[in-house]
Amino acid sequence: MAALDATNRLRTWAQAMRDWPTNIGWPAVTKPELRAAVDATDDWIEANQAGFNAALPQPFRGAATVPQKTFLFCYVAMRRAGRLRAQED
Amino acid sequence: MATVYQQLDPGSAQFLTTAFPQLKNLGTNIPVLGLYYDPAVEEAAFWLVRAVNYSSGNLAVDIDWYADTASSGDVVWAVRVAAVTPDTDTQDVETKALATANTVTDTHLGTVGQRLHRAVLTVTNLDDLAAQDDVWVRVARDAANAADTMAGDAILTLATVSYSDV
Repeated sequence: MAALDATNRLRTWAQAMRDWPTNIGWPAVTKPELRAAVDATDDWIEANQAGFNAALPQPFRGAATVPQKTFLFCYVAMRRAGRLRAQED
Repeated sequence: MATVYQQLDPGSAQFLTTAFPQLKNLGTNIPVLGLYYDPAVEEAAFWLVRAVNYSSGNLAVDIDWYADTASSGDVVWAVRVAAVTPDTDTQDVETKALATANTVTDTHLGTVGQRLHRAVLTVTNLDDLAAQDDVWVRVARDAANAADTMAGDAILTLATVSYSDV
């Protein structure tokens, strides 16, 4: 999965500001500083996706597509950030 | 000579069909009605006022605002006006254009994120404003301006237009 282009990074940055949950607070950063963090996050995903893939156990690693692995990554990360509520909660 | 003040309340703002700030009413002990200006897309609100007893000179526009989430950074506010003299101007009012924007950059003073700030903007592009004109005042956050660095929404609670009378 390719890194986001400039337009998609811009839209990620803009929407993140709109959707930022109040319960986790806002870091003391400006718009350019947040944009740099968005870019760095995408760069990190691009640089480390092979390592993430290698960490996944079989048979999931071989059976899942890249979007499916990305979806799983996002759900685990959202739960860690307190943004994923399960029916069991 | 005295100063005339005209207060522009968020509840009386007018909007075009796109790119307008959301109107919300928050506040725990007092109602805080505000227009929520997006940090990434320029949004604008409009007010129509009559330039009662306007004599000459620039307009001052005080913009009272606070941050939704941030506690640092700068906000760039932009004001444009369109002045029409009833019974004199023959311009189609529905296609009337606005004068060039004037801007002001206001810095978040920190300490408390949602503290109230006042940005003071001088409108020098007056669109040939004359006494008793109908004036459309457009207030926008210039979100695409490189100097607008504050993350999150900027919330306008009140704008005040003032000028010297006759």
